[in-house]
Amino acid sequence: MRLGSLENLRSQLVEVTLALVVGFVGGALALTAFGYNALENIQVMISYGFRDLGYLLLKSAPIVLTALAFLVPLKAGLFNIGGEGQLYAGAITALFLSKIGFYLAIPAGALAGLLVGVAIGLLRVVRGVNEVVSSIMFNWTLYYLSMFAIQRYLLDPVYTHQSIRVDRVLSLPEVVTIMLLSPLVVYLLLYNTELGYRIRVAGSSSRVARYAGVNLNIVTIQSMAIGGFLAGLGGAIQVYGVTTVVDTTLSSLYGLGFLGIGVALIARGNPLAVIPAAVLVSGLLIGSHWMELRGRVAPELADVVIGVIILALSAPYAYRVLASRMGWGVGGG
Amino acid sequence: MNPTPLSSNTTRPRQAVLMKGITKVYPDGVIALRDVDFEVYEGEIHALLGENGAGKTTLMRILYGEIRPTRGEVWVWGERVEFRSPRGALAKGISMVYQNFTLVPNFTVLDNIYLAVSSTMRVSRGEVVGRLQTLMGELNFKIPLEATVEELPVGLQQKVEILKALVMGARILILDEPTSVLSPLESRALFELLRALKAKGVTIILITHKLREVKSVADRVTVLRRGRVVGVFGVGEVSERDLARLMVGGDVVVEGRKLEGVRGGVALRIEDLHVRDDRGLLRVKGVTFNVRYGEIVGIAGVQGSGQKELLEAIVGLRPVERGRVLIDGLDVTGYGVGERRRMGLAYIPDSRVEGLALTMSLTENSIIGLLERFLGRLNSIRWGLAEGYASGVVRDFNVVHRSLWDPVLHLSGGNQQRLMVGREISANPRIIVAHEPTQGLDIASSNLVRSKLLELKRRGSAVLLVSSEVDEILGLSDRILVMFDGRIVGEGAPGDFDEEKLGLLMGGFVEAR
Repeated sequence: MRLGSLENLRSQLVEVTLALVVGFVGGALALTAFGYNALENIQVMISYGFRDLGYLLLKSAPIVLTALAFLVPLKAGLFNIGGEGQLYAGAITALFLSKIGFYLAIPAGALAGLLVGVAIGLLRVVRGVNEVVSSIMFNWTLYYLSMFAIQRYLLDPVYTHQSIRVDRVLSLPEVVTIMLLSPLVVYLLLYNTELGYRIRVAGSSSRVARYAGVNLNIVTIQSMAIGGFLAGLGGAIQVYGVTTVVDTTLSSLYGLGFLGIGVALIARGNPLAVIPAAVLVSGLLIGSHWMELRGRVAPELADVVIGVIILALSAPYAYRVLASRMGWGVGGG
Repeated sequence: MNPTPLSSNTTRPRQAVLMKGITKVYPDGVIALRDVDFEVYEGEIHALLGENGAGKTTLMRILYGEIRPTRGEVWVWGERVEFRSPRGALAKGISMVYQNFTLVPNFTVLDNIYLAVSSTMRVSRGEVVGRLQTLMGELNFKIPLEATVEELPVGLQQKVEILKALVMGARILILDEPTSVLSPLESRALFELLRALKAKGVTIILITHKLREVKSVADRVTVLRRGRVVGVFGVGEVSERDLARLMVGGDVVVEGRKLEGVRGGVALRIEDLHVRDDRGLLRVKGVTFNVRYGEIVGIAGVQGSGQKELLEAIVGLRPVERGRVLIDGLDVTGYGVGERRRMGLAYIPDSRVEGLALTMSLTENSIIGLLERFLGRLNSIRWGLAEGYASGVVRDFNVVHRSLWDPVLHLSGGNQQRLMVGREISANPRIIVAHEPTQGLDIASSNLVRSKLLELKRRGSAVLLVSSEVDEILGLSDRILVMFDGRIVGEGAPGDFDEEKLGLLMGGFVEAR
């Protein structure tokens, strides 16, 4: 597919700018309401958040992948809320494999995510279980399974609050390469291949898909497999390229999958736009930690500020997606 | 301060509705109505005649308060009104009966009517029953009030809608293409009812594109073309021919020409086919026929006689209960849609929502179902090739568009229909199944589509045409099958049928010999 018309691009830019303004004003209001100096704190958040480029990109990479993990099934009309669990599966599997050989660990992590995705797809196709419901259940199941696995099999004998440490296999340039290439590959897959076309037709309307001879069951499993693969890859990269260790409470993994949903929505479902969206969100996240540190803002409030901004950015597109799915008579998707 | 009357008749009856200078511009910039004046007298049957897309329904939805005009005034019973919703229109005694009924299918007749009436006034079920009995007595027909609506034939369901409107106090009744779902006999019964209503003093506005209806039941007629009024007449003072010319605007070609072709072998064979619908009801009850190469077989029938289920079974969208479908002598009953398409079968569905992915572009929609032809290395799509194909389709079928990469969503209904039909025909299929291919098209576009189907046949393709338009079936087919209630009840060459005989067969009144 070709890029949208200039007019379309302009209206999107206006929408994003407005959303940013609304988001920051909302965040500032929240800060003021709790008695903090809004201007000062937001300034800290922005200036510190985007200062260390290497760290920023490193933080963004897993989110790019979980955003794509949400985006591909979305194009087929499926809500993959399971990126979170698929990411855990990828990270823990990769950790396990560090004992055998790390060059296998990353593809194995991706494969583990893929299997979780396929399981969710199969449940939907064979048993008619809504993918949102099964995704959420898988998320929790995998959350506790992962904690168990770390405690039982992967615990560091010295630092007992975390797993064994792996080598940083992926250098910063390698992580950035994966982060930049994955969206491109997904874009080409969606818009320039038969599979991508089938996925998008299925997402446009199941009736049309049937008419076109697209097997909806197969597309469901395929798109969930791709989504799971990407999230699993994200988990493996988080371990081998970013943290090299996972603590027993999974705090270094927790939330990356959900963040991907917001990022995919901010990117308006465009795989290439996922990159700047992920960088923006990561920057805000890093900045919010500085805001806690410098401005003594309560962590919960810092989360509220970021939440308001992400909400403002993603709400218009999220509404359009929902509206077109529910038949509210608004174009979108 | 009454408005000045538009006609200068001295013994003028009381004015029921006056719409003055109505202009409607939709948000997407489409001008549906331009400065339309429309006047209806009390107690008359007034036909609002025009082609699809002429603006008839838009005008009436404005009168009914569903949409608001961009400019213009509406007067009802001599009083200026500005309805914000149909509720306001109802209060003035205006009611509208749509093509798709607004009845709850699994409620009884009485429940449906009571549901509607009790939402606007305080009334007991007993009172409603009493009023219904009186009304049915006066109008001389009976509907069992305890019957479930979905069990009633369509003609009776429509009468339930009309009764509902009357009980709610309608004095001006708008009927939107009321005969489009009826058999000829049911239509006749409806007209009798309309005359009886008129005798009771009810004012009726009849939205239609059928000339014969205007002549047989209306008193006066307003003709709309492309959002403008092009004439207002007493029905006695104008001929069908003149009305037709006004309606379509000069370019009148009413029939598709037949072209002789070389008849080949059997392309498609249907054997004792039984098919169920989504609710599990048997809708196709033992149908057998052949379609040969170089032949157009037309299936005539009232909508809902099982044609949809039959066609879906033929193209592979619907499972078969019993019987077989053969393409080139090969049993394909178990094949999927894609496999049948690869054998050269094309399908024009009767719904654009089924045939077009609305959020995707013209180019992407042009290759739905033909994807294999546009694949390159690594199953990549050759968009250049696809674009070329799409530009051929839009050129040959006059699809007005801005860019081939715009979503189909932004096209008007007629352009969507031409794109969908054009895509299937341009693929040069060996067998094509067309369901209401000219639906929603004006006469010129309809003729274009018909001539393309004839050309396809002349080049040796097999065509199976299903249409509820009798003229289309008679004009195009080499052989005609009439379907009623899931069975073929008549078969023959076009010469064996005239419109009346066809109409009676479609209504299920004559058994095939």
